Amino acid sequence: MSTKQNKPSVDPVIVVMLGVVFLAVAIAMIVFQPSTNSINISADANVMSQLVVAFVTGITTGGLSCLAVQGGLLASSLAYQIEQDYSAQAKNKKATRTNSAMPIALFLLAKLVAYTLMGALLGWLGSFLTLSPLTRAILMVAIGIFMVGNALRMFNVHPVFRYFSIEPPKFITRYIRRTAKGTDTATPIFLGLLTIFIPCGVTQAMMATALGTGSVLMGAALMFAFTLGTSPVFFVVAYLATELGSKLEKFFMRFVAVVVLILGLVTLDGGLNLMGSPLSLQNLTRGWFAPQTESNTVAESSQPAVVSDEITLNVENNGYFPAVLKAPAGKTLTLNLITNKTYSCARDFVIPDLNVYQLLPESGTVQISIPAQELGSKLFFTCSMGMYTGQIVFEN
Amino acid sequence: MIKKTFKIPDMSCTNCAMKIESLEDDLDGVKEVNASYHKLEMVIEYDETKLTDEQIVAAVKRKGYTANLAL
Repeated sequence: MSTKQNKPSVDPVIVVMLGVVFLAVAIAMIVFQPSTNSINISADANVMSQLVVAFVTGITTGGLSCLAVQGGLLASSLAYQIEQDYSAQAKNKKATRTNSAMPIALFLLAKLVAYTLMGALLGWLGSFLTLSPLTRAILMVAIGIFMVGNALRMFNVHPVFRYFSIEPPKFITRYIRRTAKGTDTATPIFLGLLTIFIPCGVTQAMMATALGTGSVLMGAALMFAFTLGTSPVFFVVAYLATELGSKLEKFFMRFVAVVVLILGLVTLDGGLNLMGSPLSLQNLTRGWFAPQTESNTVAESSQPAVVSDEITLNVENNGYFPAVLKAPAGKTLTLNLITNKTYSCARDFVIPDLNVYQLLPESGTVQISIPAQELGSKLFFTCSMGMYTGQIVFEN
Repeated sequence: MIKKTFKIPDMSCTNCAMKIESLEDDLDGVKEVNASYHKLEMVIEYDETKLTDEQIVAAVKRKGYTANLAL
């Protein structure tokens, strides 16, 4: 074997794909800036829509990714069972073949239960971690880095990215392997439960997201929706896994990697927004849309009842308007946050630099005091998910 | 018993390591297999009177991977 194979090589296709992904994310971020009034992604903030996204992720990339990691395990169990059936048939002509649908269904059901419980546990753990927006931001950045690292691992960009994949302890893999050789009804259930120890890359990313929800119910629901989504693909392809596994794996792993990379970058960007970092993509590109997004000094604001030391921000389902507020430097201001049937995460208003975290009513006005800021400085504000952002620019 | 390290460059995930470790069950004379996706290698402890390097390489190939004896 040549030494060439030992070195991870980056083929030009991957480089081009990476470029396309970065470009696509950049365009998506710009298009979906709340200030553009374009189709909004507030659906993501909505609980039901988050579950739909999790389900769709499961049924598309998750199922295939799980197939690559866990399909072989189930297939080996089935293969062994079929082998046993044939053996039994050889000895006893009346023996019938076991229907393989039942063990697969049991396996998937057990997997669904296990991952739902895992989601609840992660959500519960997350509730301790999300004590402050900053903690949440750090978690999101860590999750984003983990996801991007995993995507780059799948692209085989550099050996160091292999360490983003968690290797289960030897005793667990040995136990799983040997349990896979059983034939009774309990075996597929056991195997389904044990898959939580060998999650695929997309599943790991979803687990990280469940951790980020900071809610037992949401964590459980998210993992339930995702695992449910993986099930149909898993069920159908499990029959063919033995023959097609390795071929499918090579083809789909790149596709999966692209999706994980996009999700990772979006999560990372959300974390940076929540930190109030000017380096987030949305904050970096905001100036490009100045004519559409900016208002409005205090005097110019179109909002009614504006007095000299007050600035007003409309908090809507698809973001903050105006996204760029101009305010006078050097004086204490009152920021009026106006909601009107606002149900999205825009209600969870955060100004990271001032450590302001305010859950706004669905309709109403909340006032926040902004201490005097230096001339030329900026204060970034965002929702608690890091999705909707804006800034206050302090001028003369 | 002898312990040898084989490089397996075409592992693509941690599950590959688990598949390779199943050599413990498949090959007579093998005491223990420790495969690592992080290092892309397998450390195998086996009875050299029952098993040759070539048989190990062939067994790994049957699992779908390429093994090279580490120097």
